[in-house]
Amino acid sequence: MSDTPMTDTAASRAAQPFVLPHHPIRDALTGSVASIAFTFIVVIAVGLIWIGPKFVSFGNVSIVGTFLIVPLIVGAFAGFALLAGVVDLSIGTIVGISAAIFAYFILHQWGVLPAAGITLGVCLVIGGLNALAIVRFGADPIAATLGMLTALRGITWVLCGNQRMIPAFDIDYFTLINRQVLGLPLFFLVAILLTLIAAVIVARTRLGRHLQAVGGDDRAAARAGISVQGVRTAALLLSAVGGGLGGIIYVGQLGSAAGATGLGLEFQVYAALMIGGYSILRGGVGNPIGGALGLLAVAGVSNILDLKAISPYYVNIIVGLLLLAAVLLDRFRGGDTYE
Amino acid sequence: MTLDRAIDAMPAATPLRLRLEGWGTPITLLVVWLLLIAATGLYRPDFFAHQTVLAIAFTMSITGVLAIGQGIIGISGGFIDLSQPACLILSGLVAVRLSEAGLPLAVVFAGAIIVGMAWGALNAAIVVAAKLNPVIVTLATNFIGLAALYLVFQLAQVPNDSEIYHMGRARFLGLPVIWWPMLVLIVIVGYLVHYTRFGRRMTAVGGNRFAAKARGISLKTTRFATFMAAGGFVGFAAVLFASAAGPFNPSSAITLQLSVIAAVILAGISLAGGRGSFWMLLLSVGFLSTIPTSLVFFGLSSDNQSIFQGTLLMIAVAIDGYRARRGSP
Repeated sequence: MSDTPMTDTAASRAAQPFVLPHHPIRDALTGSVASIAFTFIVVIAVGLIWIGPKFVSFGNVSIVGTFLIVPLIVGAFAGFALLAGVVDLSIGTIVGISAAIFAYFILHQWGVLPAAGITLGVCLVIGGLNALAIVRFGADPIAATLGMLTALRGITWVLCGNQRMIPAFDIDYFTLINRQVLGLPLFFLVAILLTLIAAVIVARTRLGRHLQAVGGDDRAAARAGISVQGVRTAALLLSAVGGGLGGIIYVGQLGSAAGATGLGLEFQVYAALMIGGYSILRGGVGNPIGGALGLLAVAGVSNILDLKAISPYYVNIIVGLLLLAAVLLDRFRGGDTYE
Repeated sequence: MTLDRAIDAMPAATPLRLRLEGWGTPITLLVVWLLLIAATGLYRPDFFAHQTVLAIAFTMSITGVLAIGQGIIGISGGFIDLSQPACLILSGLVAVRLSEAGLPLAVVFAGAIIVGMAWGALNAAIVVAAKLNPVIVTLATNFIGLAALYLVFQLAQVPNDSEIYHMGRARFLGLPVIWWPMLVLIVIVGYLVHYTRFGRRMTAVGGNRFAAKARGISLKTTRFATFMAAGGFVGFAAVLFASAAGPFNPSSAITLQLSVIAAVILAGISLAGGRGSFWMLLLSVGFLSTIPTSLVFFGLSSDNQSIFQGTLLMIAVAIDGYRARRGSP
């Protein structure tokens, strides 16, 4: 009873160590984007030295970029959920199921826009179910979305039927998705634009600040009058919509949806996002630009090994080691210590 | 010493209501399982056949032993061991190579278990030395391990007519031989966790590691012990897996992972640590292993299996979270 809030704050203020004030340049050099930017530059440098100038040629970047369109978009949206402290492991299978639904309606001549609308609607329902379990009932995000991942993969297999795939070829849509602009895939540029928009949302808008506050310390955020449940629900809905967009684009790229579309995508995306400064266990850290650089760095490594005809399994070994290094770095920067 | 005893001793008197409350989950699980069996049997009376029991028992044995390892990690506060697939395949490969060399079954078991424990020790070493969360560490070691295994082999299989080959196909009292060790291990581990000093310390570390540390329990020792024990169980499961699964490649164990995690959560072993009974694994593993066979009898393809498993997992986790939030046991 003697512990009034007044004495509490006074005591903690007395124990406060000296903290360097924020400075834009120092923040940029030590912030979470700095280490991934450095890694990215190293990857580019290694590529230039080992492969030569053709590593950064339009042709090569265009090939890498085509494969990165879906991971970049999915990653930008999934990053919102990571920031809010609710990791959504089901994104890979949301990509799979939305590809199947979209392909189904294209096959039955519904047209691209209605099909996309229905697909995104289903994704909102899936995101809502995730939010119901995690936000409303307090289920653990990793375990709950693991359940969602399994269930959706089963539904995707069933939707694809005995042929194991749904053909969905719409010539106008196919041309649009695979269009090249300035020597690069149009949608690769769109994905980068989306990443930049996400970065602005995180850094400059009320929603972004709320996401960071809720992920960093949900109790403090609640006391500050932020609706923790609302922000987390919004984050999970956004992450599901990102998966939906990914599935819709996949169908445009491949001309069909298969039962295995998006299989394992969640690990590919989250490994890269963690290398890029996000954390799947605590919210409030990370930045869409860092996440995108993480995806680009991993894609660069796998491209180098590809061009050198080295077994692709080395990529996973390198990604695993980078992941451990990134998490260790995050801990040194103030991340959670586990004992 | 008195503090030590306080943590090692069972609470003397538990109110009757609480004691009965603890039986809610097992009874629910048992009723749901029996309903599933009854429904399938009514729809297709040929469900009640020896072949069905054999199929379910085969699925149970490997999942059950893996679930012990996963449960140990969970109850001690390590959350989830995502590297079980890599560990299982590595130990399985060792078992195959040892049996190819014509060594007796005991050596095959010993080799696989030792390799599994070494894998656990590696995970624990990274967790303890770098003070990183086990989820991310095991995610990374699984990534690295499976990739490295692909560099070593593409397809492996125990030699025909070897001891281990026959073990995977033999029966004992009408059930597969490999089912019995699973039963014995779950019963023994369930006893050890509840009634030995080490078991209760492990649970205490999972429940509140700072409180456990304050009472003089070494977190590092516990972490090493739990990860190595869990790895040992994966090594044991790997021998069963190699004996019964036929040819396997490094990706063969990935689908097992989910059933194992689902079994542990359904059994009420809290992933946040500190709570759960291993005996419940018999019910949850049995229930989850019945689902695929039942679906086949209902005429549904095995694709539907993951829909049921995933939905069940989500519901179980939601209930788990809801209970934790309410603060009741």
